[in-house]
Amino acid sequence: MAPYDDDWTKIDDEDDEELQDYSIFEGQRDVILFCIDCSESMQALYEDPNDEDAQTSNLAVALEAAKQIQKKKIIAGPNDSVGIMLFNTTRRPDAKGAGGYASEIKLGTFLYQPISLLSASKIKELMLLLDAAKEDPEELVREFPPKKDRKVPIGDVFTSCNWILRDGAPKTATKRIFLITDDDNPHQGPGSEQLRNSARTTLIDLTQSGVTVEPFFISTEDKPFDVSKFYSSVLLPNNILDEDELEQDSSVLSESISISRIEDLLAQMRFHESPKRALFSVPLHLAEGFTIGVKGYALITEQKKGSYKYFVDTGGRMALANVKTVYVDEDRDAEVDKSKFFFGSAPGSTAASAEKEDDDQDENIGARTVKADHRPFYTAEETRAFRTMGLVPGFRLLGFKDAGDLAFEDNVKHAYFIYPNEMSYSGSKRTFSALLKSMINKNKIALALALMRKNASPVFCYLLPQEEIIDDNGCQIDPPGFHIIPLPFADDIRAAPIQEAFRAPPDLVKSATEWVDKLKIKTGTYPPDSYRNPALAYHNEQLEASAFRDEYNPEDFEDETEPPISGIHKKAGKLMKAWKDTLANDESANIVSVPTTGSKRKADVSVNEAEIRSYYDNGSLEKLRVDQLKEFLKSKGVAVSGKKADLVERVADWFTTN
Amino acid sequence: MPAERAGYTVSMFVIDASPTMGNVRHVELPPGPNGEVMTTEMTNLEWCLRYVKLKIQEMIFNGRKTDQCGVIVFGSDITDNIVNKESGGEGYANVQEYISIGQPNVGTIAKLDALRPSESSTGDPLDALIVALETQGRYLASKKSWTRKVFLVTDGEGPVEAEDWQDIVKKMQQHDVFLTIVGVDFDDPELGYEYPDKSRHKKVNEAFYKDFVHDIGEKGIVGTMDYALQEVVRPEPKQTRSTLMGTVLRIGNADFNADEAIQINVKASKCTALARPATLKKYAMRQEADDMDVDGEGERKAVYAQLKMRTEYYVESKEGAEDDEDEDGANIKKEDESAEGTDDTQKPNGARVEKEDLVRGFKYGTTYAPCPDGQFPKLSTVKGIDILGFFPKKNLRREYLMGEIQYIWADEKSPHQQVALSSVVQALDSLGRVAIARWVNKDGADIKMGVLVPCVFEKADCFLWARLPFADDVRKYTFASLERLVSKKGEEVKEHPYLPTQEQLNAMDAFVDAMDLGDVGEPDEEGVRGPWFDTRNSYNPAIHRVKQAIFHSAVVSDIPSNPLPPPHPDLVQFFEPPKRALKRARKPLERCKEVFNVKEVTKRVAKAKKEGHDHINDEDEMLLLDRKPTRTQSSFFGSGSQSQVGASASFADKKPADDGSDTEDDNEELLLNAKPPATPAPSGSRGPLPTPARSVSPRGLDPGRAPGKIIGNTDPLRDFKKNLAGGDLVTKAVEDMAVVITEIVLKPFAKRRAEELIECMKAMRKTCLEEDEVDAWNAFIVNLKSKCNAKPGNPAFWNKVKEVGRDLSYISDKEAERFGGSAQYTEKQAKELVES
Repeated sequence: MAPYDDDWTKIDDEDDEELQDYSIFEGQRDVILFCIDCSESMQALYEDPNDEDAQTSNLAVALEAAKQIQKKKIIAGPNDSVGIMLFNTTRRPDAKGAGGYASEIKLGTFLYQPISLLSASKIKELMLLLDAAKEDPEELVREFPPKKDRKVPIGDVFTSCNWILRDGAPKTATKRIFLITDDDNPHQGPGSEQLRNSARTTLIDLTQSGVTVEPFFISTEDKPFDVSKFYSSVLLPNNILDEDELEQDSSVLSESISISRIEDLLAQMRFHESPKRALFSVPLHLAEGFTIGVKGYALITEQKKGSYKYFVDTGGRMALANVKTVYVDEDRDAEVDKSKFFFGSAPGSTAASAEKEDDDQDENIGARTVKADHRPFYTAEETRAFRTMGLVPGFRLLGFKDAGDLAFEDNVKHAYFIYPNEMSYSGSKRTFSALLKSMINKNKIALALALMRKNASPVFCYLLPQEEIIDDNGCQIDPPGFHIIPLPFADDIRAAPIQEAFRAPPDLVKSATEWVDKLKIKTGTYPPDSYRNPALAYHNEQLEASAFRDEYNPEDFEDETEPPISGIHKKAGKLMKAWKDTLANDESANIVSVPTTGSKRKADVSVNEAEIRSYYDNGSLEKLRVDQLKEFLKSKGVAVSGKKADLVERVADWFTTN
Repeated sequence: MPAERAGYTVSMFVIDASPTMGNVRHVELPPGPNGEVMTTEMTNLEWCLRYVKLKIQEMIFNGRKTDQCGVIVFGSDITDNIVNKESGGEGYANVQEYISIGQPNVGTIAKLDALRPSESSTGDPLDALIVALETQGRYLASKKSWTRKVFLVTDGEGPVEAEDWQDIVKKMQQHDVFLTIVGVDFDDPELGYEYPDKSRHKKVNEAFYKDFVHDIGEKGIVGTMDYALQEVVRPEPKQTRSTLMGTVLRIGNADFNADEAIQINVKASKCTALARPATLKKYAMRQEADDMDVDGEGERKAVYAQLKMRTEYYVESKEGAEDDEDEDGANIKKEDESAEGTDDTQKPNGARVEKEDLVRGFKYGTTYAPCPDGQFPKLSTVKGIDILGFFPKKNLRREYLMGEIQYIWADEKSPHQQVALSSVVQALDSLGRVAIARWVNKDGADIKMGVLVPCVFEKADCFLWARLPFADDVRKYTFASLERLVSKKGEEVKEHPYLPTQEQLNAMDAFVDAMDLGDVGEPDEEGVRGPWFDTRNSYNPAIHRVKQAIFHSAVVSDIPSNPLPPPHPDLVQFFEPPKRALKRARKPLERCKEVFNVKEVTKRVAKAKKEGHDHINDEDEMLLLDRKPTRTQSSFFGSGSQSQVGASASFADKKPADDGSDTEDDNEELLLNAKPPATPAPSGSRGPLPTPARSVSPRGLDPGRAPGKIIGNTDPLRDFKKNLAGGDLVTKAVEDMAVVITEIVLKPFAKRRAEELIECMKAMRKTCLEEDEVDAWNAFIVNLKSKCNAKPGNPAFWNKVKEVGRDLSYISDKEAERFGGSAQYTEKQAKELVES
């Protein structure tokens, strides 16, 4: 549902769980520092695969990717900050150059864009640079001359990053460095061991101050990127055994290394665009006295358009208006503090207490009068207990069922994902891992009662085991853990409104089978990556154009969810036509109207399509009655509102297009 | 369930108001905070009216115009009924049409509240029943299809003229009347209700009523009030009939090739729809009420006024406050504050602006894009469901399903369309395929992607639709492998505490087998046990509990003395694993506990050894744990609402106005539990911390490290710093820190930790300032001040804070501004806070 339908300020924060899912993220800020190698190999020019006449370089592609990520983030997280640092360049800060600390950072590294909140001008700057580079491929080399002699020590790169993040990023934001390079062995020859060690120590410093490094290594056929040459010994290995070194298991590095061809760089970055954030961290009670810790994530959540904000013109400058919701006793026009709230049913359904005699006392409408020491309403604390049933957040395992017991229709909202949290219960990982294995082997799912957050209500859910799946390159496709499927309650299940209907004879089914069989999806499954949300993309493109004061051309918009019409007709058109012919000859076509169960008598409105078409052909549609027109339109799924003239027009429209 | 449609019912309540109904009885309340039995006194009539009012409240709650009721009273001093009138005042005496038939409302319940037992009149219940049937019959003369229900409520003490009762039965059967007789203290041995000491009258009458309903057949029932009051809160899902929304299913495109393109007229209806608990309205007690609402008897009254929401808009008046980074987060928090002043001019966070002067727009980083309509032009789309292609059903990932499920039926009026859809459904079903489709609800609406799954019912075919994610909706996080562990040297590790051993795997296998739910459900007629748990029997506890609470508050005028009774057993029937499975799992569970040896990470233990005072605190809490009186087997999830209700009940004597935050309540609860039952502390509590016991700590006893809190009581500063370094959950860290500090300050032994707490506060304030949690800090500090200076309080600690002075006061607007934030207090206010 579009968020515009209701004013978001009206949503009661206590009652709307879904909203809380997002508010948790909104409070968090994300900082990304792009750290891009500018060495000669990165700047080597080659034919742009997307544009025959142009040349491009790895650096240009990397900057382009950085720009795309900025553009995406500025909409998804307007409070996030981004910076760009380049290394292996001889460019030095000039007068107009980068910020106060430019002089402090290590030689050979250059801060192109300091860490700051995203803004249109910042993106524009990058766009202009990239446009210039497109015109003249040498532009980037001039802007950022590659360092020709020795490579900058990676340790220095990390140190510069550390300083930049320390000065520019809010302390509590998630801080990440996107390291982009094509050099798998920057330090060769004498002293390499020392450089390697310094890289390692500086990286540990970084990690300890809460920064994650996410490397994007560029690999080509001629020059495959071999992590083992240098980086594998620098980047901390998976599941570090010395826990003292790293207390946060979320900072484990190599789980996020991506090695890709330059063409896939942007796609790779997209995966990492949003930082991994846990939605909840709660205990999972397997049985009494047998409890482990888990963290919960929302891997599938509807990404909505941002909600609009209010601005006010304060003399030439648009200022953001802060929205404040207050609760008032209207009769007294008195604002009431939240801590003094009581909760009860709406006065419409509440008993005006018996003691209250004077009914026409206008002032007390919507009020309830009781004896002085009586309290007819609930406190906030009592009210919360009604929703939580007095439970504390956590999962309680109830038992196991066969995997087949989870029906398709037992669904009301998106799934969650849980992963063990060794930090709250030691032994969580081994126990979780054993449970996962056992359930996969036995093809079981688990039933649990869950209260995911303090203000939520308990739900029953199934835990679906998810085995870790790795692709040929060792990249994780599916992480190990449990998918949590919240189940509907009896209250959420609606009965089927139609119990009986006509069914197809075997020959028609067979005919349908033939065209269905032709229209296979190539991937063999639902590929979410292929479908960007068109409504969201359309909105974002217009927002972007508006921010850059560009003219937006709707013609340019590409909707990825368009059905492949020509493909469908080409592959199965003939079979579809055959099916239609069989259907037309089916005897059901002759059954005019089903006896309706309704008791009201209705005028006979059944007119068949052929009859109406003849009216249409004669241009005498207006001779039909309104109810007949409506009946026809209804059967075609067209709107039936409006005056007779509108209906006639709509019927005519329908015949013109069909 | 097509047999009984919701609404279209007239229910007649026939209520006994004879003098015996004025007898006083003791009614049990939910147990007190320490499990003691609590009772209250009321007349039998008041007790019976509870049942009637709950029934009527249900109608009011559902709000159906076609759900109506009337009330007939017998044994009344007044004779006023149609039968008596028409027979010229003969017979049917002391029967009063108390409330005439109509849709019930507030007045209905108020009027029932005013009903009192008569002084000396008695009336004949069968007379009243005839009056009820006659009144109902006339009202429904032209509404033949409506359902007729009669509820007779009596203590069975009055005389019954049982002469022509068979005629009444016949008449009732003729009109398909449902009769429910509820008696005060009637016996129901099957359900375990037996009341041996009763009058001869009552015994005779009770037997008569049983014969009476027996003759009526399956539409008649007699029961006892105790059980009826429990059953009336039995969770009943509200039956909602889904509307059928017309749309069209397309394969191919008629513009492209009309001969080949397929269009089927279909109707969509909801298969699952998330039901939410009713929203409670907000009220506040009027302060001045005490002075004015004094009525003739000199009785004081309290007025609770309903609150209305009002949205106000403020704009930063200061220059340079352009980069206001966090309006989202901050606004919500501002609500929490005690913004007591209603004087707008004093609002430090900017000038109030009228909504008319506002322009809508979107944020684009620090830049704004105006958008007066609140949305940009939408993509033009055409209503309908378009199929993109098919893929094997086994490849559908269950976790991709995003929301509610819809049925897609063929047009129910067109056999031709039904045959068409049926053939497609059957084709997919036989091939084991599902369809990817995109759905546009109405012309111009946003596109949704989803899957159509064929569904072959006994007598009809349809599709089921579920939304699937767009690329934008999927987050691809990577997680460390649970199996492949690599050492620093790059070698794979085979043995590690993270990796389960074969022994552990075996133990887990046995546990999973033992806890299987496939054969532990209720036995069927043949005594075979089926699976345990079914979504169709699982009620949303929040919905029904809130509903019960709403009804309850409508029928009682004082919650503290009449707390909400416990939930209906059906509501919590699946809250605990089934006993049979638990029994079977006892040994495998013991084995699991032993081999997995999971321990809650308690960094506090090591710390406690170093610092003596912490240990004392720990012990204190340990004792509390052991003392918890209502501890049950299930206590690890909190001992359910009972203790909750109990705890809140005991707040009753507190002035409602001043119980502010969670913190305080938690504390109260702590103190409460610390008081009486002076069970001696078990000697074992001095031993090493038992991990399981820790994990079973019931709710509220141990707020500092209750699950869900990220800051513990032992070393809050360290926990706090650690959380900040981790970067996630700042708001949470600050929030928990505030709770923990307040808690420790108000506990005994706080003095020994004063220095530490000051450090904590410094760290917290710094974070609040830098991370724009300004409002959280300001709310915390003013709250802390009032708590310290309140009755149990800790004024000494506040003096310590004053010694530090300005550096621990409010974060002023000036300070906040330096970090790009805003604050509602001025520099002057900040100074004042720590000077008084």
